[in-house]
Amino acid sequence: MATEQPKPATVDVKMDLFEDDDEFEEFDIDQEWESKKEGKEATQQWEDDWDDDDVNDDFSLQLKRELESNTEKK
Amino acid sequence: MASAYLSMGEAHRRITDFLNRFSDAVSSQDAKSLCLIFSISSNSSFLLSLSDALITFQDASRVMRQTDRYSQYADILLPLFRALHSYRLKNLVESYQAFEKAANAFTQEFRNWESAWALEALYVIAYETRILAERADRELASNGKTPEKLKGAGSFLMKVFGVLAGKGSKRVGALYVTCQLFKIYFKLGTVHLCKSVTRSIETARIFDFEEFPLRDKVTYMYYTGRLEVYNENFSAADHKLSYALSHCNPRKERNIRMILKYLIPVKLSIGILPKTSLLEKYNLTEYNNIVLALRRGDLRLLQGALQEHEDQSGVYLVLEKLELQVYQRLLKKIYIFQKQKDPNKAHQIKLDLIVRALKWLEIDMDVDEVECVMSILIYKNLIKGYFAHKSKVVVLSKQDPFPRLTGKAINS
Repeated sequence: MATEQPKPATVDVKMDLFEDDDEFEEFDIDQEWESKKEGKEATQQWEDDWDDDDVNDDFSLQLKRELESNTEKK
Repeated sequence: MASAYLSMGEAHRRITDFLNRFSDAVSSQDAKSLCLIFSISSNSSFLLSLSDALITFQDASRVMRQTDRYSQYADILLPLFRALHSYRLKNLVESYQAFEKAANAFTQEFRNWESAWALEALYVIAYETRILAERADRELASNGKTPEKLKGAGSFLMKVFGVLAGKGSKRVGALYVTCQLFKIYFKLGTVHLCKSVTRSIETARIFDFEEFPLRDKVTYMYYTGRLEVYNENFSAADHKLSYALSHCNPRKERNIRMILKYLIPVKLSIGILPKTSLLEKYNLTEYNNIVLALRRGDLRLLQGALQEHEDQSGVYLVLEKLELQVYQRLLKKIYIFQKQKDPNKAHQIKLDLIVRALKWLEIDMDVDEVECVMSILIYKNLIKGYFAHKSKVVVLSKQDPFPRLTGKAINS
């Protein structure tokens, strides 16, 4: 038999989820606002076609150089 | 706190003024005045002057019993006086207990009234119940006692919810109380209790969700969105948090930031990135490196960024799952390099090459480990292709070898 392992502390993790102070601020009871009009600004700030074939950024160029130099050494 | 000398006569006058105000508000169905009367934590000059009078004139109950007009509301007003008095003396536990009694008596009255005219007053009562309970718990904790009032406030507000949640014109108020309950349950870490209220809100055929007030819909979608994040239902979380985002009062920047704090990881997990301008506007720059890691296929950057988020496990569990997408991106880059060199051989990627790319990123993995990751990517449909075990090569499909997520969650 294997010796008994100490219990991993996974149980606590789920509790932490709600301990951070992300309590939504109250809206005033009689406060009204135009929905959507200005909120749209925030909703339009997403990109879903970012995964392009462009590999000319620094990171890609360095990676390419690295992989090619290694191939040559072989 | 010591106020100027208050004569008995003046104190008596203030108390009768207050009692008149209450009974006038009820008889003329003036909810706004009732709101002021119940806003204990607002420290309004109106309530402060009354609590001074209560300190001077100790026997307010006698004043109340003298007139039928007041005494019919004694169940509400006597404990309300006690709550105000204790609040002024900073006995917060006593203040909460008395307030809950007053709130309970008012709720009984409200139940008997046919119309929902006093709904706003009930909102104030629900809010005050939560706030006073939180303060009472802080007092209990600082005296080394068990904080239990907020839990009690939750039970009481469930009763209020029950009064509202039926058919009829009062139902429009049920979502406000639901949101107060969410704030309590999230603070106490008892979010499983949310289920009984959400079920009642979402399954009711007699009432369309859209008919609730906007402010409550936004708050409700923020909290239920967080619950969906917690349960890893990312497309439902996306729907709810996006609703909260697009309908939130644009002047409430802190609330928008909180919505985005949860929405961004959800969007990332379904392959959608926030623009840098969005991160900057709401000061969410802690996501900068994660977004950059996804764009680059930079596993090292991702791992470093994840470490920074480790203590915020609310979003950590989501962010952790981005690793596979970063592997996909890295592999795609290697594929593009090969295509630039020799399009005919591009779809065969040697595991060796991947090991080397990872080594460059200071991630030590051997061929077997990389093989394992590749088979997960294939299984999760982040790569289309198969695996040539003998020659240690991943053979990519010639058609769409790297399917995009574009709004769908990774298969699990």
